[in-house]
Amino acid sequence: MTHISNIPANFKASGVSITGLRKSYGSNEVLKGIDLEVKPGEVVCLIGPSGSGKSTLLRCVNLLEKPNEGKIHVGGFETTDPDVDLDKMRQNVGMVFQQFNLFPHLTVTQNCTVAQTKVLKRPAAQAKEVAQKNLDRVGLGAFGDRYPDELSGGQQQRVAIARALSMDPTLMLFDEPTSALDPETVGEVLAIMRSLAKAGMTMLVVTHEMSFAKEVADRVIFMDGGVVVEEGIAQDVIGNPQQPRTKDFLKRVLDPTHVEIDT
Amino acid sequence: MAMTTRQRARLSKIVQIIIFVGVIVAVLLKVDWKILGSTFFAFDKLGPIFPELITVGLKNTLYYTAISFAFGLVLGLLLALMKMASFAPYRWFATGFIEFFRGIPAILVLITFGYGIPTAFPGTNWPQPVVVMVSLGLVSAAYIAETLRAGLQAVPKGQSEAARSLGMPAWRAMVTIVIPQAFKIVLPPMTNEVILLTKDSSLAFILGASMAQYEMTKFGRDGITSLGAGITPLIVAGALYLVITVPLSLIARKFESRSARTKR
Ligand SMILES: Nc1ncnc2c1ncn2[C@@H]1O[C@H](COP(=O)(O)OP(=O)(O)OP(=O)(O)O)[C@@H](O)[C@H]1O
Ligand SMILES: [Mg+2]
Repeated sequence: MTHISNIPANFKASGVSITGLRKSYGSNEVLKGIDLEVKPGEVVCLIGPSGSGKSTLLRCVNLLEKPNEGKIHVGGFETTDPDVDLDKMRQNVGMVFQQFNLFPHLTVTQNCTVAQTKVLKRPAAQAKEVAQKNLDRVGLGAFGDRYPDELSGGQQQRVAIARALSMDPTLMLFDEPTSALDPETVGEVLAIMRSLAKAGMTMLVVTHEMSFAKEVADRVIFMDGGVVVEEGIAQDVIGNPQQPRTKDFLKRVLDPTHVEIDT
Repeated sequence: MAMTTRQRARLSKIVQIIIFVGVIVAVLLKVDWKILGSTFFAFDKLGPIFPELITVGLKNTLYYTAISFAFGLVLGLLLALMKMASFAPYRWFATGFIEFFRGIPAILVLITFGYGIPTAFPGTNWPQPVVVMVSLGLVSAAYIAETLRAGLQAVPKGQSEAARSLGMPAWRAMVTIVIPQAFKIVLPPMTNEVILLTKDSSLAFILGASMAQYEMTKFGRDGITSLGAGITPLIVAGALYLVITVPLSLIARKFESRSARTKR
């Protein structure tokens, strides 16, 4: 089990507010009017079947995808305003990808310092210090000189989290951060996310880890077919779902060996 | 008659040896060594073209290659970016340019700039190095553009997305994250391009010029008529091209195997 050292003082927090969000790829409407609220300091898990639009929704929040309609507020920014400084907004929003997307030509430490020095213009020494602090936090303080391809999947994802934290984000987005991992390394990544949540980080997490969602999330949102089908307190949505589609989905996820295929 | 694998392999080897030995024997019997020597290997008569073949010819070959490559690299990068631009007319222009200059022989471009342009626009009398730089640069830019575009697009999209999500502007993500990774991908094909340019710089021989601007092939060709050593001067020039290109190939191969091993 990974040892997670010194849980830090509380984070500065930004909320997210989404109204009437629509997104299409050509004629394929993927998000069909989403309303969603994440309060500062809140942890919200987004669950739903493959292709339901979870990643698209998450990527709209920091505008990696451009919404067709609707409004999104993140912290003090209205990200859908064409005049907003997207780079400035993204400095405050950390993103962790399913495939890690570490920079393979840079060392672990450089992965954590490059945006600090080039974007935030921090002096190199300070950036290194911040990187070290965050690598310590994810239990990889001794791995700074390695290259990403010299690390396991779980370690790479932890570096990706440290890289995002090094920008002092007020909001963290996670897109299935454990889906590409070997089963035995899933736990170490979830442990770090749990500690972040405890420390007060605002988090919007797409995940298939139902026990994590149940334990850590303040709220769970179930999406299907580009709409929010059900949302509420984690224990309610996962423990006692009301909508048939939610029940069906959870049955398949929680007990995949007993799924009946109707023909 | 059916043969086993072993029999067939043995037969194949025997046939190859017979052909090999046969060709060598035929050559040895047929060739008049005296004529051969005075045509290809009359090194004793080469005195007059040294040291200028090296101090002027080799120097100019390297010089023409370098300036053509520099010009081609800048123009090629511009074309690669145009080809990936969101504004369609840029893409059309880049595509047209690339197809045109990849499709015509370099020597035509050289003649156009060496003879056509000065005739059509009296007063434009470019010095020979400029004619070579522009002509060969235009042609190599077409190849370089495609190489660079392929290299940039070979870097996974997740890389620039990660960079952008850390707040990097598009140009910064390009410079700091994408280009360094693309560089390793394009190094071997770029070395190839330099080798092709080294050889293409020989086309400058068709341009009339003063001796100070001759490159190696021009020296070799003039040596054929003036020295009475057969084509020996060209043989020597050819060997000097290999002195440039073979080390380049070796360097490229070394880089290739290094980036294949570490993949970073
Ligand atoms: N760049 C794109 N171009 C076209 N269609 C896309 C693109 N990205 C996503 N889609 C489509 O949008 C739909 C929703 O995709 P999305 O990735 O948001 O689903 P998801 O809920 O994250 O699924 P998963 O659990 O498999 O990750 C899918 O039908 C997908 O094919
Ligand atoms: Mg997804």
